Amino acid sequence: MRPASTWISEATAVLVKEWRTELRVRYALHTVLLFSVSTLVTVSIALGPLGVASSERQSVLPVLLWIILLFAAFAGLPRAFVHEEETHTATALRLAATPSAVFVGKLFYSLGLLAALELLVVPLFLAMVQLPVTAMGYFLAGLAGGGVGLAATSTLIAAMVAQAEGKGALFPVLAFPMVIPLLVLAIEVARAAVGGDPPGVALGQLLLYDASVVVAGLMLFPFVWNP
Amino acid sequence: MKTLFAWLLWLWISLCIVGAFLYAPLAEGFIGQSSRILFFHVPMAWVSLVAFLTAGVWSALYLFGGRGEDHDRAAYTAVQLGLLFCVLATVTGALWARIMWGAYWNWDPRQTSITMALLFYAAYVVLRGAIDDPETRGRIAAVYSLLGLVVAPFLFFVVPRIASFTLHPDAVVNTRGKIEVEARMLQVLIASSLGFTALFFWMHRLHWRLERLAARTGEGRS
Repeated sequence: MRPASTWISEATAVLVKEWRTELRVRYALHTVLLFSVSTLVTVSIALGPLGVASSERQSVLPVLLWIILLFAAFAGLPRAFVHEEETHTATALRLAATPSAVFVGKLFYSLGLLAALELLVVPLFLAMVQLPVTAMGYFLAGLAGGGVGLAATSTLIAAMVAQAEGKGALFPVLAFPMVIPLLVLAIEVARAAVGGDPPGVALGQLLLYDASVVVAGLMLFPFVWNP
Repeated sequence: MKTLFAWLLWLWISLCIVGAFLYAPLAEGFIGQSSRILFFHVPMAWVSLVAFLTAGVWSALYLFGGRGEDHDRAAYTAVQLGLLFCVLATVTGALWARIMWGAYWNWDPRQTSITMALLFYAAYVVLRGAIDDPETRGRIAAVYSLLGLVVAPFLFFVVPRIASFTLHPDAVVNTRGKIEVEARMLQVLIASSLGFTALFFWMHRLHWRLERLAARTGEGRS
C-alpha cells in the first residue's frame, strides 16, 4: 500500500492528464455540448411555441431535462477508456498509477464534463421551456447528486466496455439498467423542487445511490482494469 | 442417488400442483380461481431472486477465489436460469393482472422492478457475447453481476416506493409484519417454494455439468 499523498498525487495526475489531452482536441467536450444543445432544440421545437400546458409542466419537464442530460452524457462519457485502448496508452497508465487512483482521476474528469454540460443545458432548458423553479437549492442538489451518480456509473461501465474490443454500442445496453433508479430519483427531486416542496427521502436515496456506486467502483475497478 | 433425487423432486412438485388445485382453498376477494396462480407465480419470482443471488456468489468466488473457469460457468448458468424464471414470473403475473386488474401491464411497482431485473441480466448475457477471451469475459461479467447486487436494493425498494401505491397483493409478508394467509394456502405456498428452489438447483447442476462437458470437448462457448 502506498502512502496517501502518493495516491492523491497519482489521482490528480490522471485527472490533469485527462483534461490536458481533452483540451488539445476537445472531442468529448464538443460532442457532449453540441449533442445536448441539438437534443434541447429538438425537444423545444417539438413542444411548439406554446410549450407544455402549465398544469403539466411539473410532471413532464423534469423528465425531458433528465433525458437530454442522460443522452448527452452517454454520447461523450464512454470515450474515457476506449481512447486509452485505441492509442495503446492503457498499459503505460497501468504501470504509472494504482487502479483506484485511475478510477478517481477518470471519475473527476467525467464529473467536470457533466458539470460543463449541466451549466450549459440547464439554464437554456429552463429558459426555453419556461419552467420556473421554486426551490432552487434542492433543484441544484438534485442535479449535482444525479451528476455524481451518472459520472461514477459511466466511468465504471466505460472501463468495462473498453475491454470488449471497442464494441461501443455495448455502453448504453450496460449502463441503462444501472442508471434507471438514479434517473427516477433525480427526476423525483427535480419535480419536488419545481413545485417548491422538500424532496423528502428521494434526495437522501439519491446520495445513497451515489455513495454505493462510488464505493462499488473503488472495489471493483481494479478487477476491470488489471488483466 | 441423483436419479432418486430427481424422482423425489418430481413427486414433490406433482404434489404441490395437486395441492394447489385440490387442497388449498380459494383466497377471498379474487376473481374466480385466479388466486391459485399464487402457488406458481410467487415461487418463480422467488427462484429468480435466488438465481441472481447465486450468480452473485459465484461471481464473487470467481473474482476473489482464483479465477476458476468453473466458477464463471456456474455464475453464467445461474443467470440464464434466473432469466428463465424471471420471464415465467413476469408472464404469469401479467396473465393474473389481466384477470384481476383488467390489463396485462400497468407499471405496477413489482412489474417495474422485475422489468429492470430482466433488462439488467439480459445486458449481462449480451456483455458475455461481446467478449471473446474467456478470462476477460469472466472477469468483466463477474464485475457486472456484482454491480447488479449493488443496484438491486434500489430497484426493489426505491423504484416501487416512487409509485406510492400498489395493487399488488402483499398478503404473505405485509407491512404489518404478520402472516395473514389461510393455513392450508401457506402450507402449499411454502412447499411449492421449496420445490421450485430445489428444481432450480437441480437444473443449475445439470446445466453447469453440460457447460463443463461442452467446454472440454471444445464445442461450448460458455
